[in-house]
Amino acid sequence: MTGYILKRLISAIPVLLGISVIVFLIMAMIPGDPATAILGSYATPENVEKLNRDLGLDQGIVSRYFIWLGNMLQGDFGRSFALNRPVLDEVTDRFGATLILAGTSFVLCSVFGIAAGVISAARQYGFADKAITFVVLLGISIPSFFLGMMMILIFAVKLRWFPVSGMWPIYGARNFWVLLDHLAMPALALAVVATGVVARLARSAMLEVLRQDFVRTARAKGVPERRVIWRHALRAAMVAIIPVLGIQAGFVLSGAVYIEMVFQWPGVGRMLVDAILKRDILLVQGGVVFIAACYVLFNILVDVAQALLDPRIKT
Amino acid sequence: MTFLSLPRRAMLAATAATALVLTITGLQAQTPPDVLIVGQIAEPQALDPAAVTAVNDFRILMNVYDGLVRYKDGTLEVEPALATDWSIADDGTEYTFTLREGVTFHDGSAFDAAAVKFNFDRMLDEAHPFHDTGPFPLAFFFSAIDTVDVLDPQTVRFTLNSPYAPFLSNLAYPTGLIVSPAAVTQHGADFGRNPSGTGPFKFVEWRSNEAVVVDANPKYWDGAPDLQAVVFRPITDANTRTAEMLAGGIDLMVEVPPVALGEFQGDAYAVHEQAGPHVWFLILNAKEGPFADKRVRQAANYAINKEAIVNDVLEGTAAVAAGPTPPAFAWAYNDALEPYPYDPDRARALIAEAGVEGAELTFYVTEGGSGMLDPVAMGTAMQADLEAVGFDVKIETYEWNTFLGNVNPGLEGKADMAEMAWMTNDPDTLPFLALRTEAWPDKGGFNSGYYSNPKVDELLEAARVATDQAERARLYQEMQVIVQEDAPWVFVANWKQNAVTSDRVGGFSLQPSFFLLLDDVTKN
Repeated sequence: MTGYILKRLISAIPVLLGISVIVFLIMAMIPGDPATAILGSYATPENVEKLNRDLGLDQGIVSRYFIWLGNMLQGDFGRSFALNRPVLDEVTDRFGATLILAGTSFVLCSVFGIAAGVISAARQYGFADKAITFVVLLGISIPSFFLGMMMILIFAVKLRWFPVSGMWPIYGARNFWVLLDHLAMPALALAVVATGVVARLARSAMLEVLRQDFVRTARAKGVPERRVIWRHALRAAMVAIIPVLGIQAGFVLSGAVYIEMVFQWPGVGRMLVDAILKRDILLVQGGVVFIAACYVLFNILVDVAQALLDPRIKT
Repeated sequence: MTFLSLPRRAMLAATAATALVLTITGLQAQTPPDVLIVGQIAEPQALDPAAVTAVNDFRILMNVYDGLVRYKDGTLEVEPALATDWSIADDGTEYTFTLREGVTFHDGSAFDAAAVKFNFDRMLDEAHPFHDTGPFPLAFFFSAIDTVDVLDPQTVRFTLNSPYAPFLSNLAYPTGLIVSPAAVTQHGADFGRNPSGTGPFKFVEWRSNEAVVVDANPKYWDGAPDLQAVVFRPITDANTRTAEMLAGGIDLMVEVPPVALGEFQGDAYAVHEQAGPHVWFLILNAKEGPFADKRVRQAANYAINKEAIVNDVLEGTAAVAAGPTPPAFAWAYNDALEPYPYDPDRARALIAEAGVEGAELTFYVTEGGSGMLDPVAMGTAMQADLEAVGFDVKIETYEWNTFLGNVNPGLEGKADMAEMAWMTNDPDTLPFLALRTEAWPDKGGFNSGYYSNPKVDELLEAARVATDQAERARLYQEMQVIVQEDAPWVFVANWKQNAVTSDRVGGFSLQPSFFLLLDDVTKN
């Protein structure tokens, strides 16, 4: 197992290098430079040139890439132009907030998605199946930012049950309960679509498994139905469900961008949107590389989990 | 069907958990008294006035710092602030300021002539030990300064390399706010996150992406503020900002989207409006194509229904512009100027006279940007108006920075017209940078439509070096008449900045400078 993990980790290095090249090239090629973005109306050629010099953007593209890469390998991601602070401080600050939001959504979509899929499969074409399929379809079809705005309108503005936006109250103690209060709406809004996807895949994976011989054998031996479904069949179906969960983890991370905008969650998605609009090159590059590294790492974990569940995968 | 019992239990647990959250937090609490919570449009870049360029940042800075001079309440005319008095040499190149005595920065260090010199040297002198705390993108506001001399602790003299009349109003602009040299020395490049000034509020903390908190400065030279504290919250999404205002999470909201204004009718809120030094216009390519003919440029001004745009597209959040200078510069504005009326028949006649019926026009539109209001909807409305008088208008839409990259180098060979908006602090700035022959893009200016009129050039040069305000006003007023007649632009709108306060807030008014001044505001 150690050898397998090591092999996977080494294979991640070219992926990350490739990502660093791509994000660097994209930021170098998109029209509009940081100096123009900062100066706005006052972006005369001479003002732009002077500011580019002050920002260190007057060097060649190749040497800029290697300076950036070299600094990054030493743990220095540079300084954000637009926020005037080290990129790594900002990214780690914001990534924590995104992890809390996306992590909660991920747990919600896994638990509710698998439960709904299993129930659907167990009662194929029954009332529960039809009801769940309908709700799931509805969930998949509603854009999450729209759902978020509607939730704000109903539960925050009209009923005043939850705060409109933000992660912490402006005044007062910061504890688990106030965090939960702020987290409830964005986490739910973000989880809805992913829950639907997981539910649909869990349902078909379960249907597949329920037709197999060992399930019939278990039933024939008089194992209680509840045990057959949740122990025997679900365990076998998980091999197919887990990769989907891995993909959904990426989905909630990227979906967090919209939700963070709507709920003003101080996460990394909102940070990237702001940074792109301001052409905050180092923040975009550092942020993307950091997120990509986390995503690659998460996928390695998923593969390892799968290998643990199904020894045939480890080759 | 026992297998259903587990999820049923899970559902029950989930419901119970939700109910628990609701009971613990109850209904959302109101904001505390004497603490004003302001909904800002974005996270500030830095709280160093020399380093920032955005109005969003200025809204905080104007409450933490003072300049040597400031705008008189409700006007764009300068009055004393940290300087109590000043004199200008006859040739207009020497400004000598007498400084207010007994003022200290929030960090306890003294405000004096050496501090003033430190501020301008830091921005302008590349050899200054703290020049590296920049970059200072708007330092060119003060590029006329040759030297700053400390005559005695309460007297400072600026020597300019040539007469430059906007100098005083540039000192009133946020770039001219005075920072504490001791704090810059202590924090270096991190000064922008550890600001110290002389203003009515002193900095307490900056929680990234959550809030900037400032407390009242009880020793403020112009009287301590009524509020205990102000919290600036960045809420970038306009819908979310509106929802926060409706839910009571903020007490004051700036830049209310026009469509949301209807939500704030009634006694629970007050809507504030103030026209500012802003002008929204279309740059017309006067070098080539149909708009090289003055009659066609005038026709475009007649063809576009500006009333409909400000009332229907912008929901009354702007007024129709008559010329290149916004009326907010009351002292320099020509009241006799009437906007081009909406007259499609006149437009058709002028187009026929010029023989350009059915001409094809390329129109650059932006998706959004500083001061651009609702550019896509406005662009579409104008396209319809121009097509109604016989043009064939093709819109090309660009993201803001890409748009500037296309427009600023000039429209030649690319487009016939482009949207644009400017917000300035002196009537000199926009025409000087965007209407003179010397300001064509190849000479480093913003005259992207290549307008050129020697008389206008002469008037603008003269107004820049005249130190007498009445004389400057006369020159600007004459310039406005000529430019309106020449129609290098379609003059469209002057934005009225808006804000909403809750009924707990008193003493608030918006300023024509678009700055947010909170020292006289109260909240119960």
